[in-house]
Amino acid sequence: MKRLLPLILFLLTHVAFTQTQPKREVVGRDIGQLKNIKISGRIMDEITGEALVGATVTVPELNVTRITDSNGGFELVLDRAEYILEFRYVGYETIKYPIVAVGDGRISIRMLQEDFQLDDVVIFGRDPEKNIRSTDMGAITLSMNSIKELPPFLGEVDIIRSMATLPGVSQVGEAAAGLNVRGGGADQNLIQFAGAPIYNPTHLFGLFTSFNADVVNDVTLYKSVIPTRYGGRGSSILDILPKTGSIDKWGGDLMLSNFSGKIGVNGPLIKNKLSVRGGFRGSYINWFLGALSNPDLNNSQANFYDGNLVISAPISENNEFTYSYYTSYDDFAFASDTTISWKNNSHSLQWKSKFGEKLSLEALGYYTQYDYSIFNRSGINDFDLNSGIQDFGIKAFMTYQIGENNRLTFGGDFKDLTIQPGELIPSSEQESGILPKKVQDEFGRESGVHFQHELEFGEKIGISYGLRYDMYQYLGPRTVRQYAENQPKSEGSAISERSYADGENIISYDGLGPRGSIRYSLSKYSSIKAGYNKMYQFIHLISNTATIAPTDVWKLSDEFLKPQIVDQYSLGFYNNFKGNIFETSIEVYYKDIQNVVEYKDGANLILQNHIETELVPAQGRAYGIELYVKKNLGRLTGWVSYTYSRSLRRVITPFEEEMINDGEWFASNFDKPHDLTLIGNYKVSTNTSISATFGYSTGRPVTFPEAKFDYSGNNLAFFDRRNEQRLPDFHRLDFSVNFKLKGKGKFYDGDWTFSILNVYGRRNPFSLFFVDEAGAPPQALRLAVLGVPLPSLSYSIKF
Amino acid sequence: MRVFKKLFYVLLMLPMACIDPYEVEVGEGEQLLTIEGMITTQPGRQVIRLTRSATYGSVFEGLIRPVTGATVIVRDDLGNVVFLAESANDRGAYFTPENFAAQLGRSYTLQIQTPDGTVYTSFPEKVNAVPEINNLSVQTVRIPVEGELNDRSGVQLIAEINDPVDENNFYFWRNGPSVYVLETRPDLFTPRPSDANPSRDPQPKPCCIACFRSEQVSNQSIFIANDDNFNGLTTRIPVAFIEDDGLRFVKTYRIDVRQMSISQEAYRFLRLVKQQTEISGSVFDPPPASIRGNMINLENPEEVVLGYFIVGAETVRRIYIDQNDLTFRQNKAIIPDDCREVPGAQVAPPADWNP
Repeated sequence: MKRLLPLILFLLTHVAFTQTQPKREVVGRDIGQLKNIKISGRIMDEITGEALVGATVTVPELNVTRITDSNGGFELVLDRAEYILEFRYVGYETIKYPIVAVGDGRISIRMLQEDFQLDDVVIFGRDPEKNIRSTDMGAITLSMNSIKELPPFLGEVDIIRSMATLPGVSQVGEAAAGLNVRGGGADQNLIQFAGAPIYNPTHLFGLFTSFNADVVNDVTLYKSVIPTRYGGRGSSILDILPKTGSIDKWGGDLMLSNFSGKIGVNGPLIKNKLSVRGGFRGSYINWFLGALSNPDLNNSQANFYDGNLVISAPISENNEFTYSYYTSYDDFAFASDTTISWKNNSHSLQWKSKFGEKLSLEALGYYTQYDYSIFNRSGINDFDLNSGIQDFGIKAFMTYQIGENNRLTFGGDFKDLTIQPGELIPSSEQESGILPKKVQDEFGRESGVHFQHELEFGEKIGISYGLRYDMYQYLGPRTVRQYAENQPKSEGSAISERSYADGENIISYDGLGPRGSIRYSLSKYSSIKAGYNKMYQFIHLISNTATIAPTDVWKLSDEFLKPQIVDQYSLGFYNNFKGNIFETSIEVYYKDIQNVVEYKDGANLILQNHIETELVPAQGRAYGIELYVKKNLGRLTGWVSYTYSRSLRRVITPFEEEMINDGEWFASNFDKPHDLTLIGNYKVSTNTSISATFGYSTGRPVTFPEAKFDYSGNNLAFFDRRNEQRLPDFHRLDFSVNFKLKGKGKFYDGDWTFSILNVYGRRNPFSLFFVDEAGAPPQALRLAVLGVPLPSLSYSIKF
Repeated sequence: MRVFKKLFYVLLMLPMACIDPYEVEVGEGEQLLTIEGMITTQPGRQVIRLTRSATYGSVFEGLIRPVTGATVIVRDDLGNVVFLAESANDRGAYFTPENFAAQLGRSYTLQIQTPDGTVYTSFPEKVNAVPEINNLSVQTVRIPVEGELNDRSGVQLIAEINDPVDENNFYFWRNGPSVYVLETRPDLFTPRPSDANPSRDPQPKPCCIACFRSEQVSNQSIFIANDDNFNGLTTRIPVAFIEDDGLRFVKTYRIDVRQMSISQEAYRFLRLVKQQTEISGSVFDPPPASIRGNMINLENPEEVVLGYFIVGAETVRRIYIDQNDLTFRQNKAIIPDDCREVPGAQVAPPADWNP
């Protein structure tokens, strides 16, 4: 009988096949298998052949949903039966695909980009209930398509800025490059592109993000319970994945805006075996500078570009290699005498492999480098100042699928860091009145081992727990000072020096970082989750400004500067409404940060061999509540996010002269209690859409003078307690409209996007500062980075 | 480093950025005792000024008032005491006796008793040796001004010094008195029309076209250096900037540059002052720093006392700047009068005029 059943089923399915329309594709070679039929497949773009990453495959009959991996691949385990598979991806037409599963096999799905079908537009083509069902907390993935719907900045889609529209994520101000995630500093975010850390992903001093959106597939931000395979930064991980090229068709795109242009090409080098994608973006901002009236600027020169190359080789069904190269370059020559330039270069090679049914491996090696230089040719004591960081790392982890809802991930990583904090080289063109000076290079090694176990207990409860063990070594060669015990560290309190040999261990730190979360489902559409996360960070950004500058220096933990340790507790409630059209969440968190860096008043950080004399140890704490409502479907889509949060700092020092605000808690530079974002995108017609973003936040803290006094002919301000006042509140509206022109191969085909930032021209102060200029009383001035409505126009085509 | 200040312009590069005055509510300022002054090895009447701080504001409410009637003494580490007497016509300025000079190697403290009986004292400041200025040279600087056809300009003075190798040196430069040849146009003299003299035509004066005018140019910015980058070297450092006002560099300009050794703490204080005077509001500005000095109230150490009592050795170097030393000059300014009418001007050259 057992042998007969398959035969009957086979016959039945064939009868069904012949009798029903539409046709069902029979998948697999029929060897009479009844259960555990594995159907794998790959989803691609119909036109370009690119893999669609993060598309969903749903089996409504079984209430099962899978998401495609970074190659567009997916796998289903089915019983022998008929199914209608549903494939969904943002911006693409949903496909209902009837199959008959009879044996292990593969299917290949090609999806067509939709031209904005009016009634069924999905913003995020993710598993619609993922936010409810998974144990993930605070992980948000934005596909490039959804980021592209936000109003662009100077014609460009900005990946990092887009993140600041999410709850719990903010920026110091309009020109600030860094992100502040849940009250953490900008250096507490690990921004990685194709697995390699990028130390300064900005162009033009932070006005642009230096990632070209056309070569990015998606971006995931982890801000709460971070998977244990990530470590080394305290607040968040911003994981940017590149887009691989098409494996069967050549294509490209071109975009021009009033500030920059970019071009991309992709296609198969060897059909179905080896694909390539290249992208290049450059600025032509110089014409613009020349047209300005400011004499310091119209003689200035600004250049930037970035380039990407992604080579992907799916050498077999179970093995794929991906190589990714990223470069960005900037230089800016000031009218008079100074050029400043910075560049990133990063390479990464990833190997993904499957060993049988349950075990898979992801291994990655990278090398990344960041350099900046200042060339001074003022005629007196000309110099070059160079600084850089090199980071080489390997990481690997395996995933063992124990059961359908039971998965174990484990692995390890290692990185080797070298930092050149600064070297001053007198220019050789003239006799020089300055000494060459080199701040000692720094060497460090970080390694970690980790595991994570995710499992479900029935329908209601899912848990994820894991542990990461981080080890860190600070290595010679280096000369280290010892300081007198009961004095602040300063030039004067240094008592001796000790030299360490090449490779000698100066100090090491290690720590256990447990992480875990639990999910309890109240219904299919709502759940509660709680989580705990501990992170260690062995690298610090030494920057005494409110934002990230290209000239900031990174510093490794040493015997004076201990690793930052971040403990975070979070709790969330998630509810979807109306068949997942609306997605809502409420999350609360509390964070404790140890060993934050604060700066002595007027700290001198440049070319500083003994940076410990300029720093004061501090601790931080942050807490907040985040509300989020998102509408996923319909003509109008978008989200509202509101965060109430505080981010505080306190110095811990026994010495009166190092005290800030008497050792009491004070607001950090990015403490903005109320933060509201509204984003809406409305499809006017099949070819036209408009979108708008409104942001409001409390003004950030500033320090006002307590008195004025006379010194050396200047009226000076006396500042005492730090960050006790606030800038005026921030609010801004951005607007953009997008037209898709469809001709028959005419040159004006393509997308036109017109945008206006700061529609009503609000002068949001980035800073207030206090000056005493001749001929006027000392007064407060406000710097507004975006003081007027700023229009931009861009045009892009695909070919 | 100047570079960082310049980064700010990048933000102005796009026409979207702007800076404008902004009204802020600043609390009423405390009236904190402020000390300004220094004691150097150059003999002379040296001065310490005492004032009280006032409210900071865009509306100029607070007035900085001098502190009069205080007892001010300078004491060295051998116990010698010098009393400073308040000037009768310059209230709040306390002068040492004529020909007072600090001694190399000695430490000095400043002690002040205000009329309300509060006693303040400085930490001891030691007099360290200062090298000579080998040479002063001139560099013309042009500063483009937005919206103006003509650049501002002036001369930057560059000192060459041999920095001593065996110690950490901190330098502070100030302008001494200057004298220049002033040329005016008495031939264009036109008095204001009056009933007695209704003519609007020039009524030339017979004298005088050329005078020597003395002035004291104060540096708006602060010139300081430490030898971290040039310890033991012969180096060239900008030490002063004198703006070309269309008068100064018509013929010959003479200035004394005073070079002073200061303590590390005094250097730190001046660096904070300099940082604040150069703040540009850029996004790369450091946060405002609390500028603390070296004076305390012994009975109430919590009380903030502003300013710094600076002590150091001093050396002076004189330079004559000829009009031809400048590569760019402002158009000559015209004063239609007898040059002797200009404050500080006289016909006879100073006794030591020796270009």
